[in-house]
This record gives sequence, structure tokens and C-alpha cells, in this order.
Amino acid sequence: MEKTPQIKVENLSKIYQMGEVQVKALDDVSFEIYEGEFVVILGPSGSGKSTLLNIMGGMDLPTSGRVLIADEEITKYNDTKLTAYRRDKVGFVFQFYNLMANLTARENVELAAELCKDTMDIDEVMAEVDLSDRKNHFPSQMSGGEQQRVAIARAVAKNPLLILCDEPTGALDFKTGILILALLRKINKKMNKTVVVITHNMAVGDMADRVIKMRSGKITEIKVNPEPIPPERIEW
Amino acid sequence: MKKLDLRLLRMIKASKGQFISVVVIIMVALSIFISFSTTAVNMRNGIDYYYEETKLSHIHVQLMRIPQSALKYVESIEGVTDVQGRISFDVPLKTDDEEGKVRIRIISLPAGGGKVNRLYSPKPIDDITQGNAILIRQFAEARNIKPGDIIEPYINGREHSLKVADAASSSEFVYLMENEQNMMPAPEKFGVAYVTEEFAQSVYGYKGSYNELLIRVKDEDMIDDVADELEERLDKYGVKRIIKREDQLSNKILSQELKGLDTMAAAIPVLFLVVAAIIISIVLSRMVSNDRMSIGVLKALGYSNREVLFHYIKYALILGVTGSALGIIIGLSLAGVLSEIYAMFFEIPLLKVDIQYIYIIYSLVLTSLFCIASGLMGARQALRIMPADSMRPEPAKSGKHIFIEKITFIWSRLSFSWKMVIRNIVRMKRRFVFLVMGLAMAFAINTVPIFMWDSSTGMFYIQFGEFQKMDYIIGLSRPMNEDVIYDIKGLVKNGKMEPRIEYPFEISNGRKKLNASIIGVPGDTIFYEFRNQYDEVVTLPDRGIFISEYMAKALNIKKGDYVRVNNFIPYKDNVDFQVKEIIKQYLGANAYMDIDHMRETLTEKNMITGVAASSKEDLKTRLEDAKNIASVTTVDDMTKTFEEYIDIMLLSINIMMLFGGVLGFALIYNSTIISIAERRMELAALRVMGFDKKEIFWMLAKENSVITIIAIILGIPIGIGMIQSMADVFNTELYSLPMIITPKTFAIAGLSTVLFAAIAQLAALKKIHNINFIDALKSRIS
Repeated sequence: MEKTPQIKVENLSKIYQMGEVQVKALDDVSFEIYEGEFVVILGPSGSGKSTLLNIMGGMDLPTSGRVLIADEEITKYNDTKLTAYRRDKVGFVFQFYNLMANLTARENVELAAELCKDTMDIDEVMAEVDLSDRKNHFPSQMSGGEQQRVAIARAVAKNPLLILCDEPTGALDFKTGILILALLRKINKKMNKTVVVITHNMAVGDMADRVIKMRSGKITEIKVNPEPIPPERIEW
Repeated sequence: MKKLDLRLLRMIKASKGQFISVVVIIMVALSIFISFSTTAVNMRNGIDYYYEETKLSHIHVQLMRIPQSALKYVESIEGVTDVQGRISFDVPLKTDDEEGKVRIRIISLPAGGGKVNRLYSPKPIDDITQGNAILIRQFAEARNIKPGDIIEPYINGREHSLKVADAASSSEFVYLMENEQNMMPAPEKFGVAYVTEEFAQSVYGYKGSYNELLIRVKDEDMIDDVADELEERLDKYGVKRIIKREDQLSNKILSQELKGLDTMAAAIPVLFLVVAAIIISIVLSRMVSNDRMSIGVLKALGYSNREVLFHYIKYALILGVTGSALGIIIGLSLAGVLSEIYAMFFEIPLLKVDIQYIYIIYSLVLTSLFCIASGLMGARQALRIMPADSMRPEPAKSGKHIFIEKITFIWSRLSFSWKMVIRNIVRMKRRFVFLVMGLAMAFAINTVPIFMWDSSTGMFYIQFGEFQKMDYIIGLSRPMNEDVIYDIKGLVKNGKMEPRIEYPFEISNGRKKLNASIIGVPGDTIFYEFRNQYDEVVTLPDRGIFISEYMAKALNIKKGDYVRVNNFIPYKDNVDFQVKEIIKQYLGANAYMDIDHMRETLTEKNMITGVAASSKEDLKTRLEDAKNIASVTTVDDMTKTFEEYIDIMLLSINIMMLFGGVLGFALIYNSTIISIAERRMELAALRVMGFDKKEIFWMLAKENSVITIIAIILGIPIGIGMIQSMADVFNTELYSLPMIITPKTFAIAGLSTVLFAAIAQLAALKKIHNINFIDALKSRIS
């Protein structure tokens, strides 16, 4: 292989203590992701995919195992270093958009961009997500799809190494969902950003370069798509 | 602007009411702090400078007679730098006034103005010449007497004409009062005229001698020693009183006023800031739990814990800065107003209204500390929010059975909405405790002005209704034989009268001593009703002495102890008396004895200094014109002066009540708005179930009323504590505030607290109307 992996997940386990019961959210998970890949992590709810994403995004720590991002072992980081990692390396897109209600679309994007030094031009990013004429609207004045586009712009503007999306289409209707996926794919290709999408929607897997299937905290299959289909042709 | 700051500003804008209510509290706190402190400092600086400029005496001695030549004898006392003798006596002044007599104190001034107690005037004062007088400025102004006018005092039965040369101020009469019995200066009724030594000595029959000494010492620490030495050396000249500067009437009242200002400047702002801090921490803690998800997102975006925490503390700081900026501006302008009000009572010509920058710095530091502390307290839970957790819906609030439920006897009788009210209170324990504390303080603040009102009116009416029952106290121009009473009897005619002696002594117990008048009255007096500390009526015994509560406290005396009375009358010995009762006296602080016993032990046989009388007729004019009578104090006049004083007091009482009200309002308003916001879903669910808006309003009102009632109950002891410390600040030998605390005190304070709480609740009503219950149920993200 000529490429080295950008993300290396090695023997990752996460055990939650819920009262007297131990829940294994992740059970010895290992895989690799390469730079510029569009990866979909598939699994039903409770399969541990969100936990995995949280750990990769530096929002949570594993019980054992390690995650290396560009050869840096983020699972060894303390709180300060994790914050810096989230700040500079990762862009998040959440299922419920989670925009600041009292900031406009553009201000929401700036809120994230202000944290980093090497950011993208905000107006360019707004144009990229096709919101140039809606950028002064407040979240309450926008549709779900528009809000999610703002969230994507917010993730992209920081110029991160990777974009992590947690069920980005979960709260949207089919048509809007497809548009969002297409936008993510566009950013992935055009800006060469690694994008990791977690979803329970099997159909989304068809557009990915790499599909990681999970069940009960374990990886059941890793599949490389030699020829992913464009998102517009996905149906569910 | 940083987008995070922008978010903060929009948050503030969205909750204007809450923001403003806290800003107002901080503003009030700081405007009081700044205005009171600045005024106190300016007055102290002004007065110190004034005293030094005019060389105010450190010790003022009143004696029977001392020859000029004996002054050297005083100068030789170690530590004494200057001694100045003078003649001083009070006489009636001829005026066209129908209303009562005007009295004037004639004081001699050495040529060149002397070395001690120099007069002050912005322009140079010419030396007084024979037949001329300089009038004290307050009096000249109040009576509109101009230079060139003639004043006509009666001296020793003769009318004299004095031409007014000029008006000037004296540091001895910053607060111009005739004596301790007056409560307020009445500059149109009492004045001071400075005349040449020759004039005073000749009209008073004191050629070559003085009846007062003014003494300055090298170092203020030496005042006590010098005073002791003076007492010994001057005994043969018939020392009446040795008045140290701290006891000097004008200075004493001024210091007391400043002490009161200091106490208020410290206590009120701190109380207010504590309440503001309580509200801030409640508001922030609510804001943080409301922003749980946003905080998660911020952290996911890479904002650090410190940045997130600071984001919320900034809210408290903005409150603090806005409140203090407004408070400082208002405080500085109030300081000017306050100084003007003081200038109405205190004549301090060298008073400068300076901005005391240090207090501005203090207030900024103080407010910032309060705001940061309350901000940290309210917002620290933001640290515990994990970005990953915050994305998940919040777990349901744990519903637990509460202890009252176990008392089925009570619980089963409660209605559903009462059950909810009680559960909610238990669920929000910490906030409940804070709210109750804050409201209890607001209530307690309200009790203070009510007490002040009851107490000062009570003080007056007890003194002149129960304790003293005469209509007139007639003071003779000098101690005389009791026979003079027959002359006065002719004037009083149908009234009753009683002889009295009022004479100054030094009363001591070991090292503790104080100057006070002992009043001698007949054992079967009809004009006094003495009551002991247990409020029992007691009669004057043949032997022994009654002393007032204040005196007992100052001298550390219990009933049955002995006090020593140091006699200033020449060749009279000091005598020990047993204290038979400690009696209540609120105006003034005196000791009382049987008049015969007093004559035997302390004064001369058959001597009286005055007469007490009561009559249905108006005796005032008749008495004032009579020979040998120096002063006529009427209860009527006292009542009038007092009523004027009450008007001023009423204003400050209303302001205090308003302050307490503002605190109560802000607490209830904020907590209700928070309750509504927090329980939107719960309330919406109730609406869906069929509760109407009114029922929801009443449920919240029930919660607030439980809080208010508990706060009032807890506020009672806090109020008593505040009242006690207030009384301690104001109690002096001039007057003591009687502890008139009745259920009425708490009823009125409680009513006012309830009223403001109700207004606050009504103001929050709008927010209930604004709950769109369908939206509230639909959205998880508020």
C-alpha cells in the first residue's frame, strides 16, 4: 500500500457501569481509515457506533485500546489536549444540528471558526453549502435541511482533518437527507476531507468508500467499495 | 465581537426583566455605598480641616469663676499648649416674635480673635469693637439679620443694644443646639453673639475673671490626663463641667451621625449584594442547565472548560459592571445631595465635595468579587457537562417520595396541587433555601424602618407622656433659694408646681466615668413616673440614687452597686450613693435623687435651679418675661420640633421600605420566571390535561407563598438582630431607642413583603400566557 492510514483504531473497548450492570458499548474494535475517504459506520441503535464516534472525536475516553489520528495517540490525551484536538482537527455534525439559537447562520459558523487559526473563508463556505442568501437568518427561521447545512458549514469552516457526522440525516426527510449526503460527499471530494458518517440506514453504505458494520459493540464486517454510487442514486 | 460574547448579549436581551432586576439591586447597593462613604469621608476631612484651621479646643471647662491671673496656673500643666478664658452666658433676645422666646448665648472673644475657637468667615473678620457683636452665621441667616442691624439682648434684667458687625461660623457650633435636650437645631430660636471681653465682663459682673476655659493640648492622646489634672487644680474655682472634645455637643452629634453613615454604608450594600449574588447564582444555574446541549456543542467545537465557564461568569460580570457603573454615577450625584442635606444641619464651611476614588475602586472590586463568586457558584455545573452526554436527552428528574408523604395523616388531606407544590420545593432544595434566605433578609430590612418609627415616636411620647408629666420646665438664671418659688407661684396661679435641682456632676464607677446631670425632685413627685427595667413603677427612696439604663450600661452598674458622684462645687466632697433602681429614660441620660437628700449631700440647703409646672393656661410669655427665669421649656414646643423631625424621618423610612421591597420583588420575579421556564413541559402537560392558566398561576403562587411565609418566619429573628444592632449604633447619652418591637412591626413588614412578592408574581404572569403548550411538548430543545 502506498498510503498510510490517517486514523488507526486498535483494540478499542468501552465499558459503561450502569448501576450494577456492566454494558460493553465497544468490545475490542480495530480498523483503519485513510485520508480523504468517505466512511460510513453502519449499525442498529445500541451497536456502539456513537460511542466509537465520540471517542474518535475526542469527546469520550475508552476503557482500553487506543486511537491514533495522524500518528498521534489521542486516547492518551488529557482534557486540555483533547480540547485542542477537537478545536483544530475535528468538525462535528450532529443529528439535531445543535446550532446556537440566538446566533445567525453565519455567526454560528464564525463561532467555530474563531477558535482556529487556519480557517476557511466564511463566505466561501456559506456559498459552498448554498446558504449565501440565508446567512443572516436565525436557526428558528430555517428548515431542518438548512440548519443541517449550517452545521456542516460550521464543521468545515475550521478546516479540520476529519469531519465526524452522527446520524446527519436522522431528523430529515428523504429528499433533504439525500441533499445533505450529497453535500458531504462534495466536500469530501472537493476539499479532500476525511468524512465519517454513522447511521443505521443501510442504504447510505452504498455511497461510501469504506463501510464498517457494527453490532453489539463489535465490528461484523469491513467492506471497501471499489465503486461507490453517487448519493443521488441512493434510495430507501 | 467574539461570537460567544454576541450570544451572551442576545441572551441578556432575551431576559431583560431578570437582568434589569439584578442591575437595580446592584445599582442601589453601590449608590448607597458610594454616596454614604463619600459623604462620610468628605465630612470627616472637612471637619478635621475646619477644626484645625479654627483651633477648636480639646477641652472646654465650665466653672463658677476663675480670675484672669489664674490662667498661668493652667498653662503650666504638662501637655497644654493654649489656654483661653472667656465669658459665656445665655440670655433672652428681644424680638417681635409672637411664638416663643429667642435665646442668645453671649460669648466673649479676646482682641484679635484669640488663639482657640477662632471664628471663621470666607472674608477677613474685623476685630469686634465696644458695642458691636459678631453673630453666628446660622442664626443671622435664619433670622435674616444683616450687618448694621441692632440686636437687643436682656442681660441681668437690662436691655442692651449691640450693633451686628458681621456674621461668622464657629467650629464649636457646627451643629447649633442650645443643649442636650433639643433634638434638632433651631437656628431661628437660638443663636450665638460674640462680643468684646470688656463688654461681657462688665455686663455680667465678672471684671477680670472668666467662667469658661478653652484649652488646646499638644497631642490628642493627652486629653484624658490633662482633664484629670484640670479637675484637681481647678476645684477651688468651682468647676461645673470638664467637656472633652469627644463629649462636646456639636462634635458629638456630628461624630454620631458619621458613625451612623459608616454603619449604613457598610451594612446595606453588603445585604443587597448578598441578595444580588443569590439571584445571580440561581439565574446562572438555571441558564447552564438550560444550555446543557449548547455547552456540549461548544465543548465539541473545541471550547475549553475555562472558556465555557468564563462565558457564563461574564454574564455575572456584565451585571456587576452595569450595576456598579450606574450605581457609581448615581452614588456620586447622591453624595452631592446628601452633603447638601447635611449642610442644612451641620455648618462646615470648609467642606469640599470631592470624589473619593478609592471608594469607586472598592465598589468595583467588591461587586466583581460578589459577581464572580456567585457566577462560579451558579455556573460551575457547566464543567461537569460532558460533550458526548449532553447530546443525549437529559435523564428524567428523579422523582422520590418525600418525608411528608410518610405522615399520611397530613399528606392524604392535601390537594393535588399542594402535593405538587411541596414536591417541587423538596426537589429544588438548594434554590429553595437560597430564596428563603434572600426573602428573609428583604423582610428583615423592612422591619428596621418600622421599628425606627415606632421607637422614635415611642421614645418621645413615653418621655413626655409617661415619664415626665409637667407642661413646663422653668430654669432659673442661677441656683437660688427655694423661696423664689413663691414669686413663680404668682405666675403659675392655678397650676401645680414642684421644685427641682438639675446640676452637672461627674459620676463614676472605678475607672469608668461620665458627665451627667443629677436631677433632684421631691420624693412624692407628681411630675415623674419612674419605671425600672421590668417596667414596674418605682418611687424615689429617701436615700440612694436612680440611674438611667444608658448610664448603668456605660458605667457597668447593677442595681445595688454604688456610684461615686464627683462634686464640682468648691469645698464639697465626693459622695458614694447606692443605686436603688436602674430606670428607663430614652431622651437624655440622667440620675435622679430625692431633692432633700441631694441638698444634704451634694448642693446647698434650700437650693433649687428650676421649677416644674403644669397648667391649663399658656404660661410661656408670662414666665419668659419674669425676673430670674432663664429658660422655659414647654412640652408643646418640643412636640412641634419633634413633628418636624418626624417628617424627615418618614421620608427615609419610605425609602428603606422601598429598598426591602425591591429586593423581595427581584427575588420572587426571577425565581418565578425560572420556575416557569424550567417546567415549561410540565406546565404544558398540565394544560393539556385541562388545567387552565389561572390554575397554573395559582399553583406557582402557592409555591411562592410557602416560600414567603417561611421567609417571614425566619426573617423575624434576623429582623430583631438588625434592629438590635441599629439601636446599638444610635444609642447615646442623648437618647436611647426603646425596644418597641411588637407583632405590628412584623405584620407591617410582612405585609409589605407579601405585597412586593405579589407584584412580582403578577409581573411574571405574562410568561405563563406565553407558554404555547403544543410547542413546549413537541420540542426537546428549548
